[in-house]
Amino acid sequence: MEPIVIAKNLTKSYTKGLRALDNVSLTVDRGKVLVVMGPSGSGKSTLIRTFNGLETFDKGELNILGIRVDSSHDEKRIQKIRKRVGMVFQQFNLFPHLSILENITLAPVHVQKRRQAEADEYGMYLLSQMGIDSHAYKYPSQLSGGEQQRVAIARALALKPELLLFDEPTSALDPERINEVLDAIRKLAEQGMTMVVVTHEISFAKDVSDQVLFMDSGKVIETSHPDIFFSNAKHERSRKFLNQLDKH
Amino acid sequence: MSKINIYSLIIHFKNLKKTLFSNLFNTTISFLIIVLISVALSNIFVWLIFNANWKVVTSNLPLYAFGSFPANARWRPATWIISLLLLSIFTLCGPKWKWLQKNLLVAWIGTIPLGLYLLYGGFGLSPIMSRHWGGLTLTILLTVCSSILSLPFGIILALCRQSSLPLIKKLSSTYIDVMRSVPLIAVLFFGQLLIPLFLPIGIEIDRVWRAIFAFTLFVSAYIAEDIRGGLQSIPYTQIEAAKSLGLNQYQIIQFVLIPQALRIALPALTNQSIGLFQNTSLMAILGLVELLGVGRSILANPEFIGQYIEVYVWLASVYWMACTIMAILARHLEQRMSINQAYF
Repeated sequence: MEPIVIAKNLTKSYTKGLRALDNVSLTVDRGKVLVVMGPSGSGKSTLIRTFNGLETFDKGELNILGIRVDSSHDEKRIQKIRKRVGMVFQQFNLFPHLSILENITLAPVHVQKRRQAEADEYGMYLLSQMGIDSHAYKYPSQLSGGEQQRVAIARALALKPELLLFDEPTSALDPERINEVLDAIRKLAEQGMTMVVVTHEISFAKDVSDQVLFMDSGKVIETSHPDIFFSNAKHERSRKFLNQLDKH
Repeated sequence: MSKINIYSLIIHFKNLKKTLFSNLFNTTISFLIIVLISVALSNIFVWLIFNANWKVVTSNLPLYAFGSFPANARWRPATWIISLLLLSIFTLCGPKWKWLQKNLLVAWIGTIPLGLYLLYGGFGLSPIMSRHWGGLTLTILLTVCSSILSLPFGIILALCRQSSLPLIKKLSSTYIDVMRSVPLIAVLFFGQLLIPLFLPIGIEIDRVWRAIFAFTLFVSAYIAEDIRGGLQSIPYTQIEAAKSLGLNQYQIIQFVLIPQALRIALPALTNQSIGLFQNTSLMAILGLVELLGVGRSILANPEFIGQYIEVYVWLASVYWMACTIMAILARHLEQRMSINQAYF
């Protein structure tokens, strides 16, 4: 198995004493899906944002797709990683002044220097995969939240990434719109995309994950197979968290 | 349609009755105001039609438009102004020709070299020195050149002010603060009187260009502040999204920040250019014969002495018309931009 993400003892402290990440170590192999769960403020967003250099860390080491990053955060290496890693945000973060297709083709044309026509063609293919090719020439504000998030996934896929990061992709959506986004992510998992997903959706996590990582106050509490984690979690803290989620 | 209009008109009058003539006190006040307004209006009307001597305007129309531009070459600035007007109309109506629709911005920017070529001459046209330029032509030239030059300069200043390098940040914020604390007329004096002193002997900059540079120096400080406002209102998540796509710093500025900041700052920017158009009249004090300067020189002619009111009423209406055209164009642009601007 070829590991795509290796994190060793990642530590990040905000102010003295308070740690956003506390000795976090993990491995994600190619084609696998890691789901990260935990209460808010547990550091799960911080963790996946370190993977593409949006967040720094103080100690430890990262190895993404064979590119090593330590706490000095070499700009060139992070840039290399970003070209091969896609990210989807909670708030979609589409560019409001660009049309849907322009949102998707911006990076392929200017980062990968592909021809506009080629990028357009691939962008349309991705949009049809997401079931929203009819919106290609609209602007983000004209789309619903679920549609915008699917555009954001297509935008992340446009660079043909080897790893996709999802930072609570459904937390800003209407309950009715969540499934259309989760289905799109499921489809990607079936196609063998390597993914790290931060989510609170239990049934989705059960379906899609190969491994569940549970965090609390910056520490990894447990890493288990989903079958074990959701039926018989090893730690008291994980069980308490799952009980809380079930009540909602 | 017409029925609805008549109905709403009736409602309108009923409301008017309710608000203006509801009791004795309101009725007297309303009548007093109506009498005052009608007296003022009728006096103005009588003056405009019977008392005013419009010969000072009608016999000098070419002067107002072109200044002392040689009579046989007046078609050149006229062509320029008419092409600007036509382009404005095309822009407002939604151009019918596909190529113009696509290249509207290019066409607008292209009017500057066209205007300079027509005014300066050369390449087949007889060359004409800038001291012959004047009137509305010069006013428009000053406005258009200064605002086009100060936009990129203002963008650079705004970006430098946001820079993480302390020296660059300090320099640009000092520049902006100094420019904003100096009156425009002082900057213009600087341009006309001091720039020639600083330049090495033998190099001379045309006084029209010195005025344009002075306006650019001044206006770009204000534009920088408008654009900084736009930059600051872009959420940081936009930058994160662009970073995660692998765009580098310059690409983020070029494709994500500047287009959005300009859209946000657009109303403020149009304000600046309308203000600039009116402020070009300050150059009349400094010896350029632009629209106001023409008015002053005509008033100095013994034939028209003392006809201040006619000349200034006429000039005010020309400024008003030009500013209205600019405002309508700006509103049109804002509406077109707002189609894709609803935020979050």
